[in-house]
Amino acid sequence: MIFSSELIKGTLKTIVLKLLSDNKKMYGYEITQRVKDLTGDRIQLTEGALYPTLHSLEEEGLVTTELEYMGKRVRKYYKLSASGKTRSKERVSELAEFMETMRVLLDIQPKIA
Amino acid sequence: MYCLSDEQIDYILNDIRRNGVEMEDLQLNLLDHICCIIEQELKEDDDFEHFYQQTVRRFYRSNLREIEEETIDLLTFKNYYAMKKALIVSGASSVTAFIAGSFFKFMYWPGASILLTLGIVSFSLLFLPLLFILKSREVKTVSDKFVIAIGILVGIMFSLAILFIMMHWPGANILLFSAIGGAAFVLLPAYFFTGIRRPETKLNTILMSIILVGIIGLQFTIARLRPSPFDKVATANFVQNEALLKVLVQAQPSAAAANIFKTCNELKELLLQQSIGAAAIPADYDERKLYLHDSKLGNAFFDNGPGVQLLTSLKEQAKLFNSGAHDGVMVIGAGMPALVADPQRVVHNYGCISLLNSIEQLQIYVAVADAKNTTAAK
Repeated sequence: MIFSSELIKGTLKTIVLKLLSDNKKMYGYEITQRVKDLTGDRIQLTEGALYPTLHSLEEEGLVTTELEYMGKRVRKYYKLSASGKTRSKERVSELAEFMETMRVLLDIQPKIA
Repeated sequence: MYCLSDEQIDYILNDIRRNGVEMEDLQLNLLDHICCIIEQELKEDDDFEHFYQQTVRRFYRSNLREIEEETIDLLTFKNYYAMKKALIVSGASSVTAFIAGSFFKFMYWPGASILLTLGIVSFSLLFLPLLFILKSREVKTVSDKFVIAIGILVGIMFSLAILFIMMHWPGANILLFSAIGGAAFVLLPAYFFTGIRRPETKLNTILMSIILVGIIGLQFTIARLRPSPFDKVATANFVQNEALLKVLVQAQPSAAAANIFKTCNELKELLLQQSIGAAAIPADYDERKLYLHDSKLGNAFFDNGPGVQLLTSLKEQAKLFNSGAHDGVMVIGAGMPALVADPQRVVHNYGCISLLNSIEQLQIYVAVADAKNTTAAK
């Protein structure tokens, strides 16, 4: 099952922040590939959602950027700033609490392995 | 792994630009992303252009510009487009209300003041603040934001000042002079010195500054610095005459005199409305600095308007009064200033104060004559 873009939209910032806190620096394509690999193709970030989010994180000062020139191309690497690191932790724990609340709200029985 | 040539990279970049992506940052991100996909997924002998078009098609719903719009949305604020719409709607509707109000006022239709007030209030307290929110986010530097803030503030004060002047509310002059002062001493220098430093805006800045100076200068010449002392005396005279009139009018005036008083009172209301914006002079006029102003008579006295009609019937009523008067008792002389020879041309010969005084004088004269008639009849 591939999740709907509506579901992903609300968690996209958290996903990006968490990935960047686990990896020193990443570029856009790398982020989409990593998410695909980690979720077994179940979450596929669209370019149309990822880049606006990256730009807005940059504007908020949560990530810093680094340019790498490769011939005619320029690769833009993103990495967490100090405030980004704090925010990343906050967002992850907020999402965890949210998921717990949703579990209660929607009466989802945890699967017993 | 597929190896992209420089020409192919240029082709992709040009295509991204052609599709309306203007932010350089985003262009580079998208270029690198597409290159990565092609390098990973395209086979050595596949068709590059075909594959590229298929790849880029996955990025959007209807066109590539969506990504840029979404980015701007997130960078500025979520309600950008809704606010833009609100800006246009509020601007258009307040201007419409204002123009309709002016037309209503001109035609003496009811509702003119409400329309004018609504128009100016929504223009200055809804449209202009919205404009500030939107415009200030489009510029980057603090000085540009400051210029916009001052410009909008001056605009709000100026349009509110116009409303206050129109409605004869207190504080109108303070508002107007703050607006003109703000424009001259804060807005103009701030605008000039931020614009002149940049070569690309230099010429426009000089031209716009000259126009601004011109507008401020013109505005200053028509502003009234303080109420004229003549107006204060004229108002006091009028108020005293009104008090005198009250004493002189009999408890039961004759029908002919009562008709003249009624017409005179209607005329006075029209003139007071034009001069101070109220039908009567309030008791605290001196504290409120609400003085008669020798302005033009206003539209009511043009082209057979209500004022002209009242003046015409006043002449008939004077004749009637005279025909009922006892022999040898006071009659109204045809030369009295209130009995305007040609009411159609009254606007050329009278101002508000002079016509008010003429009418007041006629009323006092009629009150005295009426009392004498009554005594003579007995």
